[in-house]
Amino acid sequence: MKTTPPTVYIIDDEHAIRDSLALMIAQENIPVMAFESAQAFLDACPQECSGCAIIDYRMPDMDGLELQAELTKRNVTLPIIFLTGHGNIPTSVKAMKAGAIDFLTKPVRREKLISVVVAAMMESEKTRAEDASYKEAVKCIASLTEREYDVMLLAIQGYHNKDIARQLGISHRTVEIHKSNIMHKTGANHVLDLARIAHKSGLKE
Amino acid sequence: MAYPLQSLSFQTLFDAVADAMLLISNTGRIVEANAAALSLLGYTAQEILDLKVETLVPSRYQAQHIKYRKKFAQNPEKRPMGTGNELSVLTKDGNELEVDIGLSPINHQEKPYTLVTFYTVTKRKSVEQALRISEESLRLAKKAAGLVAFDFDASFKVSDDNEQLLAYWGAEPNSIEQHTGKNNGSAAPVIHPEDSAIRASAIQLATDPTGSGDFNVEYRIINRTNGDLRWVSAIGRAHFKDGRATRLLGVVRDITEQKILEKKLQDQHAETETLFAKEVATQTASAIAHEINQPLTAISAYSEVALHALKQKAIDSASLKRALEGCVTQAQRAGSSLHELLSFLHKGDMIREQLNINNVVKEALMVAKSYGYSDFYPVLQLESNIKPVLGNKTQVLKILVNLLRNAVEAIREAEIASSEISITVRTNANINMAHVTVQDVGPGLNHEIAKHIFEPFFTTKAKGIGMGLAISRTLAEANGGQLWLDPDIKIGATFHFTLPFAS
Repeated sequence: MKTTPPTVYIIDDEHAIRDSLALMIAQENIPVMAFESAQAFLDACPQECSGCAIIDYRMPDMDGLELQAELTKRNVTLPIIFLTGHGNIPTSVKAMKAGAIDFLTKPVRREKLISVVVAAMMESEKTRAEDASYKEAVKCIASLTEREYDVMLLAIQGYHNKDIARQLGISHRTVEIHKSNIMHKTGANHVLDLARIAHKSGLKE
Repeated sequence: MAYPLQSLSFQTLFDAVADAMLLISNTGRIVEANAAALSLLGYTAQEILDLKVETLVPSRYQAQHIKYRKKFAQNPEKRPMGTGNELSVLTKDGNELEVDIGLSPINHQEKPYTLVTFYTVTKRKSVEQALRISEESLRLAKKAAGLVAFDFDASFKVSDDNEQLLAYWGAEPNSIEQHTGKNNGSAAPVIHPEDSAIRASAIQLATDPTGSGDFNVEYRIINRTNGDLRWVSAIGRAHFKDGRATRLLGVVRDITEQKILEKKLQDQHAETETLFAKEVATQTASAIAHEINQPLTAISAYSEVALHALKQKAIDSASLKRALEGCVTQAQRAGSSLHELLSFLHKGDMIREQLNINNVVKEALMVAKSYGYSDFYPVLQLESNIKPVLGNKTQVLKILVNLLRNAVEAIREAEIASSEISITVRTNANINMAHVTVQDVGPGLNHEIAKHIFEPFFTTKAKGIGMGLAISRTLAEANGGQLWLDPDIKIGATFHFTLPFAS
């Protein structure tokens, strides 16, 4: 699997702004890439990318809000920081509602930009970690056989092996074998642990 | 008792009849004429006897009359003559009188005669009745149209007649008759004091023998009883005799509703104009802001990059160089963006031509009026033979309309009764330029306001955007002149501007 390190993506149609902001971020030893349009970024950006995006709100063709919507559609969970010439309240409210992490007014101070970028990257890391454990849990649950899945469902609801055997019409011994396999496949130490993994995978009671 | 009138002679009876009568022979000669006929036709008895009856017929009908007379002689019967036609009789001194004529055949001693009777009284009555009917229809038509006629004599004074006229809009607006009756005028409305000068000048213009004689003016009248204000429009024409106006005839109409509607439309128009001007200003400012803010953002970021590069233990000279180069390029870019923008905004406006400044002043008054700034009395002092100036007509008009508009708004705000605005055009010999002065009788400008009056976005008006005077001054300067506020005048505000002559 291709791994891209967490990167700051700058999308602005103005060369000087891309260039100066990229220099600033690079001075902090944070990987940075700049794109001159929303389309150029979409073409280059892998779905697995992490870090954050600094997007100019006002761009020709596809503007900041449209790019934000397109990223959401493509399941790219990149925290977004908008840059605007004149940050009026209605546009910023709209952007924040759509999930932007922050809204910066040009010209922007280094200190402010860096702190917002660092916060966004931590947010991204957290999202990515959660994402990883979710994917892991889904994988574990998916590895169970049909019968093992049924046993697990009853086990995490607190039924004893005897009750599970009776409900499923199988022997007590068979339930014990299934349970041992389930614990092995999911890496869970006890039933509570198993319930946590099942919950994380998106399973509801 | 028996036959007491037998002794009454034909001659006595004939002369006693009030109607004019003639007795005509079968050859068409007058054989008898009664006293009434002599008096009507202006002949003596000696003169009229034996005259051909055609003598009494206007010459254009004489040939026809001979034919008709012969036809009548063949088939005489008692009847009115020429039924339905206008009949006239010719008097001795050549006047034609309109009459009705009755014809009665009489046989006396085997000879046929015709008795001719002239009915002047019935004729006059019918003429009078026709006149009455015509007057009545005119009165009804005027009533239906809400018109009141007026007829001033040679003096053209604001006379009793005028008061009578205005009484129509007095206590009883439905009674037109009131204005024709001899009302004492105590409840009659008065002309609004602000409008009497306008009305007087319109009368003066109409009665000027060198003019067209047209009278056309709108003014307000106040009902003395209840204080109601109505707008009226007077339209008329002066009549001249021997190079002097002798009468002014016309009609007056109530136009209050129309005025209210006009005012509403003008207010809406003004509001739209302001909104539009604001929108244009916002768009322009926002375009400028964007053009400047982009390079500023880059310069700010590059500078911080440079600072950061300097703070490193080993100076990062590559970043430093790139950042400083970026700063220079962006600062230059900001400058040239501004220049481009300004030259774009000034483009196309400057076609200068020779202008008669007097005509431009008159046109500005019309433009101001069409914008709804007509509630003032312009006092023009023009220099009739002033040399043509060189300028852009639209821009010079804009300066004048802006100044007029400011003056009117100042007067309105202060609710000042006398609303004169004087516009003076003269040659300023000191600088050899045309010099225009616009002076109002408003509250004027205090020292503090006067200091800022030409600054963009400075305004004393609730709805203004404060660009009028700033733009006017820029336009005056763009046309090679100047615009300033007179600092010494104590009454009202006085603005001056100059324009260069074409030569």
